[in-house]
Amino acid sequence: MLYLFLDIITTAAILFIVSSGLLIIFGVMKIINFAHGVFLTIGGYSSLVVTHFDWNPWFSMPLAFVVGCLLGSVIERTVLRFLYHRPLDAILATWGLGIVLGQLIIIGFGREVQFAAGPVSGAMELFGDFYSKYRLLLIIFSVLVAGAMWLLLKGTRIGLQTRAVIMNEPLARGLGINSSRVRLITFSFGAGLACLAGAFITPLSSVDPNMGLPWLVSAFMLVLVSGNSFLALASACIVLGGAQVLASTYISPVIGGLTLAVLAALLLRIRPKGFAYD
Amino acid sequence: MSIARRIVTLAGVVCLTVTTWAAASDPIVIGVPTGLSGANSTVAPAVVQSSELAVAEINESGGILGRQVRLEIADDGSGASGAQRAFDDLIINRNADVIISMETSAARNAGIPIVERNQVPYIYTSLYEGRSCSPYLFANGAVPEQMVGPIIDYFIDEKASKRFFLVGSDYAFGRGMLEFTRNYIEERGGEVVAEEYQPMNATDWTSIISQMRRNKPDAVIMSTAGGAPNVTLQRQYKAAGMQALVGNLSVDELTAQSMGADAEGIYISASYLTAIESDANTRFLERMETYFGSELLTPNDLSVPQYDAIYLYKAAVEMAGTTDTDAVIEALAKVSFDGPRGTVQMSAQRHAPLTMHLGRVQGDGSVEVVQIFKNVDPGEQCPTT
Repeated sequence: MLYLFLDIITTAAILFIVSSGLLIIFGVMKIINFAHGVFLTIGGYSSLVVTHFDWNPWFSMPLAFVVGCLLGSVIERTVLRFLYHRPLDAILATWGLGIVLGQLIIIGFGREVQFAAGPVSGAMELFGDFYSKYRLLLIIFSVLVAGAMWLLLKGTRIGLQTRAVIMNEPLARGLGINSSRVRLITFSFGAGLACLAGAFITPLSSVDPNMGLPWLVSAFMLVLVSGNSFLALASACIVLGGAQVLASTYISPVIGGLTLAVLAALLLRIRPKGFAYD
Repeated sequence: MSIARRIVTLAGVVCLTVTTWAAASDPIVIGVPTGLSGANSTVAPAVVQSSELAVAEINESGGILGRQVRLEIADDGSGASGAQRAFDDLIINRNADVIISMETSAARNAGIPIVERNQVPYIYTSLYEGRSCSPYLFANGAVPEQMVGPIIDYFIDEKASKRFFLVGSDYAFGRGMLEFTRNYIEERGGEVVAEEYQPMNATDWTSIISQMRRNKPDAVIMSTAGGAPNVTLQRQYKAAGMQALVGNLSVDELTAQSMGADAEGIYISASYLTAIESDANTRFLERMETYFGSELLTPNDLSVPQYDAIYLYKAAVEMAGTTDTDAVIEALAKVSFDGPRGTVQMSAQRHAPLTMHLGRVQGDGSVEVVQIFKNVDPGEQCPTT
């Protein structure tokens, strides 16, 4: 029972980490960033670079975040800025960017599956049995990510401006908020978070040019049912991630893989706002 | 007949003449579709190296029937759709005379209709779940009849294992291998406590490891797609602190090395291990070393059969005196090759009797030979065709 509970919590934590970058971009810019999957992948390759140079594996996380922020700001300034009045084209542009970046990764790192070192390995004893240390660590990471987001949004001036843009962009602009700057910062930050998430999930899996794709689908569904609230995202991760773990454990892992997408679709049919409550 | 039509016909005739004329002096083309991306990508580069060495050696000693040999490599993406593209491309655009490849079972099954349609001989060089039958298909890797017995017998007889947990990738190889394993365990009086599958590209094994924890098996038998899924499963298994014995039906030495210390203690059943003590193997390893130097990837049970297969094809073409498909196929069942794995001949219903080794992976990724089983028969693979 304890392990089932831990599986659910750790799975929810991973889903939350992976989706939060997508959510913040969706909240402010009202576009789903389809390059999210490739940002996750870039985070994975950041870890690989750290492993390659034999640096401390902990370093892969700040590195991934910085790489993501830089890349995000370049993309926002050179591509997305010109498409804000054409949201559909902007979505298409992020999709295309994802493909271009994916190919660049293949050129740079090859197509093969590779492995990066994790910061901790092994299991720790919990009530007489063992559980993966790294998965437990992910719970802490997700709480840190959530806490940092909350502090940024509620405790800083840029956070206040961001919330204003999320609520009503024309009005915010009327009040003198530089919404273009808010968008730049948001997209860079969202991309940084996505890369960070990629670095977080890498020790659990392998690094290959398509590693972000399955996560993109889950993150996309979760963001759709969460609107633009982080609290809604957290509850969606726990409920849907929990359903996924239960289905995988008691029915079959193949059914479990479908659970999240199917439940999210059903939920949207019954309650279009999903987990958002305002 | 319109002018345009005449030109097209003329062009056709010219092309035909040119190709027929070129055939005699052109190199023999060996097509190698393999998983350079996807699950097999950890091992496919080693398969390419084995092929390159074999072709280089053959060309240095005068080729096959005086013709040089050219290698054409294509990425099959470790799966069915990629394999269809790779086979079509190799056979139709690059004029492969033969397909020789280590691939996933999904890729092989997708490729068989294409070699049948185009009537090209196909030597499959991966260990696999068995019973893949086509007049054009030969296999020189191990099948369950050769692989499962050594591991299960050892676990039951030497380690007193009774409860087995089976886990695999959800496709032909995983399911076929574990079906055989389940029957074998039950015949031997053991108990299969669970049999679980995940999609081929799955990387998160949490729920399955939790089930293992509940079932408390004595031994876990893994049969995932070769390469990446092996590594993720084994790593997460170790990270979860699991203690049961592990027997793995698809891990090779190269993949074991990429797992590092996590691979220690895995039992494998292989027709090739670098630790095999024979002159042929020593010579082979030396040549690989000189040819690839620091680029060398550890030769393994998935890459060495590829080397054997290219020589088997050479012997068959020489016996037949032509690259003509029907004649080559007839000869393929008769020829044999003395290679790093000993003498290999695909004489048992287009499959090969093999000497099998039960190995135990060490902390540094090398494999210690525990037991040797001479000339294990592949059993009834294709009794009717």
